[in-house]
Amino acid sequence: MNRPIFASLNRGAAIILAAALIAACAVPAASPATQPPAARPPSTSSSIIVAKVEEPETLNPYITQLVTSYDVLSGVMEGLMDFDTNQVLQPQLAESYQVSEGGLTYTFKLRRGVKWHDGRPFTAADVVATWKIIMDENFAAFSTLGWDKITDIETPDDYTVVMKTSERYAPFMSYVAVTPISPKHLIEKGLDWFKQEFGRKPIGTGPYKLTRWETGQFIELEKFTDYWGGAPKLDKVIIKIVPDDNTLMVQLTTGEVQLTDAVSAARIAEARKLPNSVVLTRDGLEWVHMDLKNIGFLMDKRVRQALDYATPKQQIVDRMLGGLATISIGDQAPGTPYFNPNIKPRPYDLAAAARLLEEAGFKKNAQGILEKDGQPFVIEHWIVAGDQLTKQIQQVIAASWRQLGIDVQEREEDIKTIWGPNGYQFTQAMTAGMYSWTNANDPDNMFYWHSSQIPSDPTGTGGNLPAYFNKYEQQAKIDELTAAGAAEIDPEKRKQIYWQIQELLFEETPVIFMYWPKRIYVAPKNLTGFNPNTFNFLLWDVENWAFTN
Amino acid sequence: MRSYFVRRVLGAIPLLIGISLVSFIFLHVMPGGPDALLARNSRMSAEQLAKVRRSLGLDQPLPVQYARWFTNILRGDFGLSFTQFRPVSQIIGERIPHTLRLVIPAIVLSIALALVAGIASAVWRYSLADHIISGLSFLGLAMPVFWFGLMLQLLFSVQLGWLPSADMTSGDGGLVASAKHLVMPVTTLAIGTVAGWSRYVRASTLEVFRQDFVRTARAKGLAERLVITRHALRNALIPFVTVVAMDIPFFLSGAVVTETIFSWPGLGRLFFDALRARDYPVLMGLLVYAAILIVVFNIIADLLYAWLDPRIKYR
Repeated sequence: MNRPIFASLNRGAAIILAAALIAACAVPAASPATQPPAARPPSTSSSIIVAKVEEPETLNPYITQLVTSYDVLSGVMEGLMDFDTNQVLQPQLAESYQVSEGGLTYTFKLRRGVKWHDGRPFTAADVVATWKIIMDENFAAFSTLGWDKITDIETPDDYTVVMKTSERYAPFMSYVAVTPISPKHLIEKGLDWFKQEFGRKPIGTGPYKLTRWETGQFIELEKFTDYWGGAPKLDKVIIKIVPDDNTLMVQLTTGEVQLTDAVSAARIAEARKLPNSVVLTRDGLEWVHMDLKNIGFLMDKRVRQALDYATPKQQIVDRMLGGLATISIGDQAPGTPYFNPNIKPRPYDLAAAARLLEEAGFKKNAQGILEKDGQPFVIEHWIVAGDQLTKQIQQVIAASWRQLGIDVQEREEDIKTIWGPNGYQFTQAMTAGMYSWTNANDPDNMFYWHSSQIPSDPTGTGGNLPAYFNKYEQQAKIDELTAAGAAEIDPEKRKQIYWQIQELLFEETPVIFMYWPKRIYVAPKNLTGFNPNTFNFLLWDVENWAFTN
Repeated sequence: MRSYFVRRVLGAIPLLIGISLVSFIFLHVMPGGPDALLARNSRMSAEQLAKVRRSLGLDQPLPVQYARWFTNILRGDFGLSFTQFRPVSQIIGERIPHTLRLVIPAIVLSIALALVAGIASAVWRYSLADHIISGLSFLGLAMPVFWFGLMLQLLFSVQLGWLPSADMTSGDGGLVASAKHLVMPVTTLAIGTVAGWSRYVRASTLEVFRQDFVRTARAKGLAERLVITRHALRNALIPFVTVVAMDIPFFLSGAVVTETIFSWPGLGRLFFDALRARDYPVLMGLLVYAAILIVVFNIIADLLYAWLDPRIKYR
């Protein structure tokens, strides 16, 4: 008997797995190996259909938790500044800015003649109102980073904003200047209205205005002819929600979807065969790593380094990710000025790993398992459940570590469980948890390493999870360096600090740095002006998009 | 009959309260809360997380949270979604028409096909037709929904280009265009159901064929066609009607796999997304909705039973 709801609860999980299995078995799902009979003619219409797997839960920029919301908002709302392709801030709603001598006062000169989508003019009062709503006790914004450093905002005239801050905070601009600004006249409609209604129909100053949102189906953006940067070229941008990745490939084949950033690395070969599309890849800000809980044998640096030597990163990137990732040596993205190019990743070298473990006092017992002081070396390897490729990578790493004589236990769990108070981070077992952090457009990394970021208890906040039971040997040094980096406003000095941090992290290996996955975009061949980049969201340059014949 | 009906409806009230309490407990026992990921977000400070928890009411003890939820629903207020910050009734309300649009044709199609296939294979049992129908039924039951859906897409959208591969609408298409969007999801949803239901129809028809009154009808020289339509079927269908009535709530609660494959904005996907986000108010709303449907259709099934079979009387 077909019982759609409850049966499908189980099958819901199975579908992701099954979809991945299909890819793995190379069943030509939507693969043009059998040429699509009528390769649909490329579109030259004045609208484009963009597919996202996930739907924004709300488009209120201050309470959404999803990147997909920012991808949509990047075409609708604007901040004072915006990053360019080199991670340098460029004018947007502000034409210029100045920082005072001590780094405590920021003065922005605003652009004149900018209109909100409802026709009202944009002024300094909107910036003040945005600050107030973000900091409102009862609003519960998702993040107040940067904005919480502001003690006062003065507006000498309608087009000048002077922000006074409480401390010298280097990441200030990276957070505050790119936050979307909201119109004062709509913020003033009240907290509930602003949360609910604005979240469904945000009004911005961007090149496209949101005209329709059919939940679970699509979001329709229409060009804003009064845009300060000139009218955009395409009339409409439709953002369609396609939750299944097989369906996404089918729709790319039939032309029902034209552009997406949701194709996984596992399916890139299929995507490359699409006749009317081009595949683009870009570096990302997401770093995949394994955190090694600072407990038991893992408190010995040599053991952590040995596990690094025993992790076949290059092989994983080349053979399992199709080369679509860059090996990492630290927490700063290659392509940013803060990336330290002098550090070379440890090669895959089981002999070197074995030597280090021997030095650390391990001997194999009768069962071939490494032992020290009568204790076998047992480690749990954790991943977030649901993705077949991740599972395969886990198997490869576990198999490699086992060759050293380590008893590796493969574990997986639902994401909300793994990150909740019952997660592996809060058990006494030795663990290696494989997951990724995604950096902001600023090198500030206190969240990952500083002792203030060690959760006080399993429900506490902070990203320095491996140090939950025991602080690192290098804790004092890394506290000092990361705090200095966040307070240093001279770019060159700041760079030196982060280079030093990367050297320290590489030597101490509190986590095993693995790789930076590339972002994959599939776009129509005849689309011009589409220039996705590492430091921006999907629609950041949407006003330039156009079809050629 | 009327007093029976009133009693059933009144009896459902404590049942629903019980279901809501059990659902609430289970949701909260499930590891990882709506705030689990927030605590690991670099943009979220401890003070800010405390504010968010307070604004969602998560700082209160569980019994208080439940009591608050319960008193609110008595006033018809199902609360605000933890992620969308919109009223739960609005979020669920906008999905129900989409689910009906998919599910009603699927139910009608399933009933029609199950009757035809079930009766045919009973009447001509052990014939070639019966074996083919039985074979197809088992295939339908065994076939993974996501695979069948994908095969339909590859054939009718990629190869033949006859049908849109997914979505509920394309642009502001008319009736024909909307109907085209229904073909594959309805077929996918119906296929497993027909398979199960037709076996049911076959079995109950066969059982009735062995009854005395059918033998009597045959003995008095009635044409086989009339024996089947006038005497056998009416009796054979009684159990089938109850099976259908009991299964309808499951349809009306949404079908996550079919909806996901065909990008259909129904209740199944809403439930799945809310579950992943641990959006308790939405989940509670959906569970109460499903529970009410099950209770209502159970009552309907019982009433239909009495109506179809005059020997059954409720008092």
